[in-house]
Amino acid sequence: MSDILSKLSDCIEFGKINLASPFPPQMKEQEGADELTAKALAQGINPQDVLTQGLMPGMERVGVKFRENKVFVPQVLMSAKAMGTAMLHLKPHFLSGAAKQKGTFIIGTVLGDLHDIGKNLVAMMVEGSGYKVIDLGTDVDAAKFIAALRENPGAVVGLSALLTTTMVNMEKITQEIKQALPDTLVTIGGAPVNNDFCNKIGADNYSSDPQGVVEFLNTKVA
Amino acid sequence: MNGLERIEKVFRMEEVDRIPWVPFVGVHGGKLVGVDAEEYLKSADRVVDGISKAVELYQPDGIPVVFDLQIEAEILGCKLVWSKENPPAVVSHPLADGVELSSLSLPEKSDGRFPIVLEATRELREKYPDVALYGLITGPFTLALHLLGTEIFMKLFEDPDYVNELMDFCTQVGIKHSEMLLDAGCDVIAVVDPMTSQIDPMSFETFVSPYVSQIFDFVRAKKKYSSFFVCGHAQQNIEVMFDCRPDNISIDENIPLDYVKEIALKKGISFGGNLKLTSVLLLGNELDSKKEAVDCLDLGGTKGFILAPGCDLPMDTPIANLQAVSEQVHNEYARQVTREMEHVSSLEPLNLEGHWVEGKVIVDIITLDSASCAPCQYMVEAVRKAASGFAGNVEVNEHKIKDVDGIRMMMALGVQNVPTTCINGKAEFISQIPRKSEIVKAIKNVMGR
Repeated sequence: MSDILSKLSDCIEFGKINLASPFPPQMKEQEGADELTAKALAQGINPQDVLTQGLMPGMERVGVKFRENKVFVPQVLMSAKAMGTAMLHLKPHFLSGAAKQKGTFIIGTVLGDLHDIGKNLVAMMVEGSGYKVIDLGTDVDAAKFIAALRENPGAVVGLSALLTTTMVNMEKITQEIKQALPDTLVTIGGAPVNNDFCNKIGADNYSSDPQGVVEFLNTKVA
Repeated sequence: MNGLERIEKVFRMEEVDRIPWVPFVGVHGGKLVGVDAEEYLKSADRVVDGISKAVELYQPDGIPVVFDLQIEAEILGCKLVWSKENPPAVVSHPLADGVELSSLSLPEKSDGRFPIVLEATRELREKYPDVALYGLITGPFTLALHLLGTEIFMKLFEDPDYVNELMDFCTQVGIKHSEMLLDAGCDVIAVVDPMTSQIDPMSFETFVSPYVSQIFDFVRAKKKYSSFFVCGHAQQNIEVMFDCRPDNISIDENIPLDYVKEIALKKGISFGGNLKLTSVLLLGNELDSKKEAVDCLDLGGTKGFILAPGCDLPMDTPIANLQAVSEQVHNEYARQVTREMEHVSSLEPLNLEGHWVEGKVIVDIITLDSASCAPCQYMVEAVRKAASGFAGNVEVNEHKIKDVDGIRMMMALGVQNVPTTCINGKAEFISQIPRKSEIVKAIKNVMGR
């Protein structure tokens, strides 16, 4: 693997956004994800390789560290921010078809629930792992999920709930989605939810952390 | 020893006669008085009624006055969205929308819903001098997150000076709010800072410890007690939380109780928790709640432990489940019975065919063991005495649930409590020891049919 791509992985893993960014201290005054992505593309490296060999390994490493309690939300957000800056350079190539995303993931916090931190983390991690993410925001009803699914056939749906009272809506939405589009895969997450609940409501997967969602997608979609 | 004294002793790490319990009644108080969360949290009268009802039903040693982490945020300009079954949610973050930190000022007693909380505190103080009243404040990190939004996580790295300035402001808000609550009559200040579960110990020590410690010091200087509540996966931060020197740390089911106990005893600071909120108290039944309570009580022990749910109780938590917990706290025999029933679920109910005899009254008494359980002993004696007057027409059987068959009989008869006396299969006397005349009357009633 080229040197520049491995440096890019490090930038994503440690949340180094650009040259000006003071974080992390050990990478001060070095180029970040922003400059290195631009440089890699300018050098003629295939955009697909920039994504799969540069950005994604970094995102995966931080996802694993998060699961192992070695880093927490702030560090993951820095990685996601670095990832986001790099993706800006890649967007035109996705549009032109020169680089392909692995699949589409539609995510939202269920009706009645306004919490978004967990949902945002999952969205960023999934996007950083090479998927197209459609974020429907918070307080989303079944009709919105189904409309997004019709526009993106074959997409996987992620439902988030942070309240015990909105778990009920999670169940309803899952059932309505399955009724309208029976082949749709639904993955759920959030503080009050667990695997038993997932089985009970007929969802396809429960993950307690964002990396779990990525792994589910990788086995089912990619 | 009353509840307040018991809790104060626990905070001082002194021995107590029994483990105190503090149900975190928040909007659940609304359910108790039949109003929704919004109406409840906007009325001092409703709060007083709800908490009074909770005190009556759950016999707590301490109780929070109001459990709502949006009160300060609302005053400082965060927009709230209200819902029927939950505390309101913060939906706007003024500091992320262009408001300058320097333009925010410390809230006054008359601001927002402070008057409601303070009025409710004064009335409850008057009404329940023996119950420890917990005044809740939003922890500085959680308040900072309300004000700035998730941007704060990145600011930890990109602009630490700003985060320090913000944390300092939120701490001053917390101290001021604490002072109001203590002046109104609270005994304990609970600093509730759930968002700290999202950060690592080093960030915690850098950005949280120096600030929350000031609040605990302030409460100590006022000669009152403090508790540090954290919900969520915060196991990584437990040690640094204790180092902030609160008088107590309360955790939820995401952190193992024995893990916290070990550190707490080492540090000489009390601890509390961690009844499972959703899977047991909300969605489980009475038996599940009893088992959960006994597990926590046995694990927590009588030194420095307060039994509490992991966080504020969901509105619809069944009253019977919380009463079942309360029973375990107050009644040694109830705890013994629950421990004995550990293996119930794997058993089948006894087949009652052939148990009934034509022309005879069959009395079944379900006991723990009349030899070792005083209430059981008295019930068995009373029933045998009453039955002796009917010569051979009444048959009395004791079923000890220390035996597998006793448990299977209990299941067959649908009995929930021990001791219980059933006459021809119907539970007539539950827990209470009836007078002889009542038993005779009950038997005669059955015979007359």
